[in-house]
Amino acid sequence: MQTEIKANMKNVTKRFGEVVAVNNISLDIKEGEFLVLLGPSGSGKTTLLRLLAGLEELTEGDIYIEDTLVNNLPPRHRNIAMVFQNYALYPHMSVFENLAYPLKIRKRSKEEIAKRVREVAEVLEISELFKRRPKQISGGQKQRVALGRAMIRKANLFLMDEPLSNLDAKLRVQMRAELRRLQKSMGTTTVYVTHDQAEAMTLADRVAVLNNGVVQQLDSPEEVYFHPVNRFVAGFVGSPQMNFFAGSYEEAKIKTDYFEYPLPPEVVKKLEKKGKVEKIYFGIRPEDVTVSKIEIEGAYNARIYVSELMGAESFVFFTIGNSVERFLSRTSPDFRGNMDESIWVSFKEDKIHIFDYDTDAAII
Amino acid sequence: MLKSFFKYFFMVIITMFVFFPIVWLVSTSFKNPVDMFAVPPIFVPANPSFDHYATLFFEAGIVKYILNSVIVAVSTTLLSLVAGTLAAYSLARFRLPYRMNERLSFWVLSTRMFPPIVTIIPLFAMMRFFHLLNTRMGLVIAYTAFNLPFVVWMMRGFFMEIPEELEEAAMVDGDSRMSAFRRIILPIAKPGLVATSIFTLILSWNEFLFALILSQTRSAATLPIGVASTVTQYEIKWGEMSAAGVIAVVRVLIFAFVVQKHLVRGMSFGAIKG
Ligand SMILES: Nc1ncnc2c1ncn2[C@@H]1O[C@H](COP(=O)(O)OP(=O)(O)OP(=O)(O)O)[C@@H](O)[C@H]1O
Ligand SMILES: [Mg+2]
Repeated sequence: MQTEIKANMKNVTKRFGEVVAVNNISLDIKEGEFLVLLGPSGSGKTTLLRLLAGLEELTEGDIYIEDTLVNNLPPRHRNIAMVFQNYALYPHMSVFENLAYPLKIRKRSKEEIAKRVREVAEVLEISELFKRRPKQISGGQKQRVALGRAMIRKANLFLMDEPLSNLDAKLRVQMRAELRRLQKSMGTTTVYVTHDQAEAMTLADRVAVLNNGVVQQLDSPEEVYFHPVNRFVAGFVGSPQMNFFAGSYEEAKIKTDYFEYPLPPEVVKKLEKKGKVEKIYFGIRPEDVTVSKIEIEGAYNARIYVSELMGAESFVFFTIGNSVERFLSRTSPDFRGNMDESIWVSFKEDKIHIFDYDTDAAII
Repeated sequence: MLKSFFKYFFMVIITMFVFFPIVWLVSTSFKNPVDMFAVPPIFVPANPSFDHYATLFFEAGIVKYILNSVIVAVSTTLLSLVAGTLAAYSLARFRLPYRMNERLSFWVLSTRMFPPIVTIIPLFAMMRFFHLLNTRMGLVIAYTAFNLPFVVWMMRGFFMEIPEELEEAAMVDGDSRMSAFRRIILPIAKPGLVATSIFTLILSWNEFLFALILSQTRSAATLPIGVASTVTQYEIKWGEMSAAGVIAVVRVLIFAFVVQKHLVRGMSFGAIKG
């Protein structure tokens, strides 16, 4: 089956007075996909979602849903469903009435409403809650009811704004898995906003990483993680964060304040192709930093700042050379180090990242 | 122990202080003229008389005053509530340029900052121009004008307490702005709506100054004017005045008693998030 475009944004800009919340964004949303908008606070994720929903007016650009220009269409004519961060359940209605509301507005028959509500409630396992008010149910249950209210009708687009952020960590992981299964089994096109990169990685078919109202990268989670297009994406996706070293490129080597790193020939070839490259950032993810207590050929001498046993893994913070800055290695829990102990660190050759110093764009 | 003793002690004192005039009013309304001025004062008349009430109903035609009061108070409340609620909703929700929301709201409130009496002469002139003197309509318009700021401010506060996401959810679910307001926001704001209408009702029920100036004849005069008309050029009809006072107060009391639950709910509004 050919992938169809469900919705489409063309050069969309939204300004609030002086603030540019969304800056000239163009993106396609494919039929049946789970698209995650990922970005730090204030990057314009919510605004983008609200523009899609019609809750915010465009400053510039066009939005199409199912090939219809919806720029001036109020939310009710866009046939979209939305789950809000605080659930926005109607406090004066029972769970049943909340679920039934979208159908009631559409003047469906009583029998049809009851049937549909029961179906949805069964899927979400909230049938016992029908008579309760939103105040009388738990956060996780509210979450399900909000989801159910969105699922009750066949909407073109599902929009979710950080729907899991009010749940505790355990429930969040559980709901995350359920969301994913639900979305796949129903094939609903979903746009999901989050600032939690773990959520983005696990849920998304594609991730759009936003910063300052601009899409930095739109790719599969793997691509975004392993081949970030710039230093922002590299730093934002992945927890704990990627290590960065400022330095320069000279004669097939990366020179930083703390070490010299000889580059493999393929990388050198690529760099030479780019033309003149001087100042750069060298990036390496914590899991690609190996640590050892015995000296290894080509490894750098470092000093443990602190070592934390996380259970399944160990975080080793270290200083290298005379650095004040601390860097991190994520290694096996068998590695136990003491404060100020001398160790040797090395970087996995095929996992290094090099970014342009001035533009932050990825070179490798 | 001592603390709660003091608490109740002061509560009793204050209650007595507040209740005394009402008790005196009620007792006077049942006294015959001799008991009224007896020294030492008589609190419970030995043989209560209903003469004053009879006079009020059969000779002074108090029914007409009551009717005027009811019509004026109810119309005023309805009118101020409809107009005020809509205005309050707009001021609470829509972002106007140049922080106009705040400015407009303050301006609305500022009309309550001067004493009403300073408007009475221009108001009188306007009412005469439009032939609205001595009509209930004239009173309703004047009262509505003076109740609106109160309604707008109360209701704006209530609406601002309601998370905006609720209407947005409703609009995504298929409502227009107006039907979301009607089906989601109004029901949630009901305690506030009830409390505000009670205050408005009591305010217009008890209003005296405007009624005195704008409705001299019995065709429009309200109960407070009826009560005041017992003060005549030659004598003060204490008994009838008290009886009329009792009638005016009793209605408000019963009313307040009935709606007390809503009043308390309206006051403690705000716990509706979630
Ligand atoms: N109604 C508004 N009026 C003025 N500025 C706004 C408004 N809504 C959002 N902004 C601004 O637009 C920018 C983007 O906001 P937005 O809410 O889209 O961010 P976000 O990515 O959803 O952040 P968060 O993760 O904190 O929810 C911010 O700088 C914000 O201050
Ligand atoms: Mg947001």
